[in-house]
Amino acid sequence: MTRTGDMAPIVDFHEVSKWYGNVIGINKLTVRVPAGVTGLLGPNGAGKSTFLQLATGQLYASQGKVRVLGQRVWNNSGINREIGLCPEQDAFYEWMTGWDFVYTSARLAGLSRWAARDATERTLEAVGMTQYQGRAIRGYSKGMRQRTKLAQALVHDPRVLFLDEPLTGTDPLARHDLMTIIQRLGNERKSVVVSSHVLHEVQTLTPNIILLNHGRLVAEGNVRDIRDLIDKHPHQIVLICEEYRKLAARVLSWPDVEGVRVLSQQKGIMVETHKPDAFYGRLPELSLEDGMAIKEVYSEDDSLESVFKYLVNA
Amino acid sequence: MKPPAVAESPRALDVAPDRPPFGSSRLVSLWTAYALTLRQHLHGKRWMVIAGMCVLCAGLVVVVRATAPDVPAIMLEFVFAFLFIPQAILPLLALIYASGIVRDEQEEQTMTYLLIRPIPKWALYSVKLLATLTTTVTLAVLLTFLTYAAVYVGAETGTKDAPFRALQAASIHALAVVAYCCLFGLISLLTKRALVVGILYAALFEGLIANLPFSIRLATVVYYARLIAYRSMTFLVPLPNNPSRTNDLAAEIWQFDPKTDPGLLSHPQTRTCLIVLLAASAACAVIAAILFSIREFHLKTPEKA
Repeated sequence: MTRTGDMAPIVDFHEVSKWYGNVIGINKLTVRVPAGVTGLLGPNGAGKSTFLQLATGQLYASQGKVRVLGQRVWNNSGINREIGLCPEQDAFYEWMTGWDFVYTSARLAGLSRWAARDATERTLEAVGMTQYQGRAIRGYSKGMRQRTKLAQALVHDPRVLFLDEPLTGTDPLARHDLMTIIQRLGNERKSVVVSSHVLHEVQTLTPNIILLNHGRLVAEGNVRDIRDLIDKHPHQIVLICEEYRKLAARVLSWPDVEGVRVLSQQKGIMVETHKPDAFYGRLPELSLEDGMAIKEVYSEDDSLESVFKYLVNA
Repeated sequence: MKPPAVAESPRALDVAPDRPPFGSSRLVSLWTAYALTLRQHLHGKRWMVIAGMCVLCAGLVVVVRATAPDVPAIMLEFVFAFLFIPQAILPLLALIYASGIVRDEQEEQTMTYLLIRPIPKWALYSVKLLATLTTTVTLAVLLTFLTYAAVYVGAETGTKDAPFRALQAASIHALAVVAYCCLFGLISLLTKRALVVGILYAALFEGLIANLPFSIRLATVVYYARLIAYRSMTFLVPLPNNPSRTNDLAAEIWQFDPKTDPGLLSHPQTRTCLIVLLAASAACAVIAAILFSIREFHLKTPEKA
């Protein structure tokens, strides 16, 4: 599935390939990233980091054209005023304090002394690092380091923000706060491209995704739209019920049910169907007619995980 | 999926809605990169090596003076300030800092923080090289003065001229270290084994070939540094058995032949030496800056690393 937005894309890859010797990082990728928050998804080695390094001008495309905000990025240092990058690498000038690191980043971005000082204070406050800003980075926890990395990407107020696996290794509190920050950036109409191999993270942040695998575009667009792609793929719906064996026999007689698997430990069944809407439509009748108390109904296919698994394995 | 429940409510993101001014931003960026590189030099472990070099050089002078008090100060000056320092210390000093201009940022994976700034890559390399020259020239000058202090403090002869000669020597050393840094900076972009190549170069070219009385020594830094020193300073050591006569120590050791060629007309003049060293340094710096600007610095992800 492809999507061509009416608005000018913030990132435009046209037939882009990138090789590292004999290894291919990105393979003839054509994709247009619209404004707003976009999730860049894919398993490890899918080409997400290569994508971000190409988009931030750290790598040049072996083939094709890469443009950000309508400008080429390779050896175009001017575009870096509009770009912020939170790299995946857990690397810092360890001897610096958090404040010093973010302030230096602001100065490297060209901010005057007072503007850099002001922006540093505000950005550290925004990522919740004010109270730790005077400590050396080498003593920071993983969450603090991720917040500080995010602050250096934000401090010069870029129009486009690239976040490479920003939640990796963080604790639940830091993860929640970082997600909140990214969501707020989206609300402030900043464009954010956030990469992750953990699907529920991205699903929480945005419905707009780009799915990569082996350097190729697997799917692009809204998660719900992408789900339409898998209509041919049987949906798996779990029903939890005390009388689960009786329930299994009952639903197996329905024509739209492909199969039923008993989940003894959960006291439930997993139903496979190609027509989930029809199946869900019958469920109320089931309770009314047969008097079976269904405690819980959920579909594993509501999770992006299954969409992802299906698409990349297709 | 809902985010994990947390006790703390999300903080408001209070990033300035107005973009900060980018007035003289490029100069600010360059100055910050320059200052950052200097600060990196202050935090590196290489300080221990540099301190060791200084102690070694001045310490050896003190030991020689203590154990052989009859050795003339001018001889000590020549051996340490014009043989040991330019041939051994300066190449090592330059190699330690210049080979790290790019390598350090790559190894520590901090290069990204520089490459994503509004600084052209050639300019980024240039300011980092400039910062490296600042550090190495400062250290070379300090080392020279320390050595001269060790030679002449408390000496019976030559103390009057010592400050001026120290200044001359420091200037020559500064010039040499600039050339070495530009060369080693370039080498570090050409090979991953810059330290090994640099040490081999220093040993083979600056240590061996520079001492041979053949034209090939024109390809060494130390040859030009010696010529400038020889043309601007004297190294006449009184003969032990006849103190009224002197021996031209520099001419003898540096393979110059003032008896058949009194004005050393077969060798470049001081101005030519200066031009050659500065032009070669500039050429190395320009080539390295171009290489840096066209090179990719692919960072391995933790998964691939």
